[in-house]
Amino acid sequence: MIAALRAEWTKTRTAGGGAWLLAGAVAVTVALSAGIAAATHVSAHSGQEDPTKVALGGIYLGQAVVAVFAVLTISEEYGTGMIRVSLAAVPRRLVLLAAKAATTTALALAAGVLAVTGCLLVGRLMLPGAGLDPAHGYPLISLGDGPTLRAAIGSVCYLVLIGLLALGVATVVRDTAPAIAVVMGVLYLPPLLAQAFADPLRRHIEQIAPMTAGLAVQATATAHSEPIGPWAGLGVLTAWAATSLLLAALLLRRRDA
Amino acid sequence: MNEATIEVTGLRKRYGPTLALDGVSFTAPPGKVTGFIGPNGAGKSTTIRVILGLDEPDEGRAWVGGHAYQALNHPLRHVGALVDAAAVQPSRTARNHLLWLARSQRLDAGRVDSVLGQVGLTAAARRKAGGFSLGMRQRLGIAAALLGDPPVVILDEPFNGMDPEGIVWMRALLRTLATEGRAVLVSSHLMSELQGIADHIVAIGRGKILADAAIEELLTGEQVLLQTPAPAEAAQVLQRAGGATTVLDDSTLGISALSARQVVEALGRSGVAFAEVSTRRATLEDVYFQLTNEETEFRTGTAVRR
Repeated sequence: MIAALRAEWTKTRTAGGGAWLLAGAVAVTVALSAGIAAATHVSAHSGQEDPTKVALGGIYLGQAVVAVFAVLTISEEYGTGMIRVSLAAVPRRLVLLAAKAATTTALALAAGVLAVTGCLLVGRLMLPGAGLDPAHGYPLISLGDGPTLRAAIGSVCYLVLIGLLALGVATVVRDTAPAIAVVMGVLYLPPLLAQAFADPLRRHIEQIAPMTAGLAVQATATAHSEPIGPWAGLGVLTAWAATSLLLAALLLRRRDA
Repeated sequence: MNEATIEVTGLRKRYGPTLALDGVSFTAPPGKVTGFIGPNGAGKSTTIRVILGLDEPDEGRAWVGGHAYQALNHPLRHVGALVDAAAVQPSRTARNHLLWLARSQRLDAGRVDSVLGQVGLTAAARRKAGGFSLGMRQRLGIAAALLGDPPVVILDEPFNGMDPEGIVWMRALLRTLATEGRAVLVSSHLMSELQGIADHIVAIGRGKILADAAIEELLTGEQVLLQTPAPAEAAQVLQRAGGATTVLDDSTLGISALSARQVVEALGRSGVAFAEVSTRRATLEDVYFQLTNEETEFRTGTAVRR
């Protein structure tokens, strides 16, 4: 297993594209958060706002880049035929999948920590300019605040789980473009579909869809308006990622390479 | 069993409606180059994928040094294989491609540089594999196969895309590997590539083994060459007399299992005209065509009976 891990790490390190994609994920996330912060204006008549959630808004887009990264870790091998070389080197297929999952976890974790830190910094610096300042009853974003810390850690976990979900899908689908399409569909379609329905159906869709459920972990001041509790929501996403990896493991074992 | 042996027994594999392998059994012994010959689509690559644990056979087993491939710890130290030379990520350098493989087998980077030297890619080691010619990719694939210094080496069509210099190099390398005591299994659809270097021949056609024998046994016969204006009639006559015939061109037949004198006598009795009779030593190509012809005759024979 250690050898397989080192091999996977060496693959990621030497492919060139991976590092750029992850740097891109961080940049896109922080940039979108900055954009949202710049566009936010809060007046006295606005309802209750959630500065932490606003600051972490960039994850909405950054997750797509993390997903693409995770898809490519295996779909590119199917594309070039290198998967056969990999499986000849590591014939225990679940070990190969586990090594890929571990590498994806580690790298999504690193990118997630950077992105979330960047988002919160941007929020702390920019949001007071939008009216979300202590004078209006909004304390500055701080990791010393329990719910904010939970939102931060939860967002990092969210990105890791999205990566694992995408890795599983790509292992099942084995082809880059369709795999990316499936992942994007699973992430972004349910929230759009939900809009077509009234509560309680809309709420139920949002409770079981990976993105809406998973992102509930970001809410601090407005947690009551989320479809699902923060950790329960992350649990739903974990179930999605686990199912995806389980299916991937079954098919990887059964299918000819 | 010797570490350096491939043993395949009763492989059967169906892909949808096609029976890719129909009871394939053979042994590739240590210290020999075993030529695995057959036309494209005969089942060579499928057999190799089964040996490497990439494809699961419906029936039968493949053993490497007495073990199933999946049971090998650090398999590349037991079996080195070239399956598809195009199977490299284009953005990775040759050296890094070998480096991740080395890591997966707990081999140190020194082995990487050593095999790069062995295949003549030292100068291109830090170039991206995407820019390599097919011949260079074949060399990179060979380097990967040799990385773990394995007692068994399996190369699927290693001559593809190689220039004449590369072919000479490859032939010498195959000989060297066998001399070192390794079992070397080399597939090819071109018999001429293996003439003179294969010690042992496994011929496959339509998923069936047509021959599994030492080269001396296969190349014993002399072939009789017959120039005749009536090759079809001559073939009929000679087959009745117990010969196996191959049409070489419009007016030339190759005949085995009959001596030149028997050919002349048979044709004389039947009054078939001929211009010239000569003999030559059988080549691997003759043997192969003879084997595949027998297979074809068998098939057409059954078709007619129905």
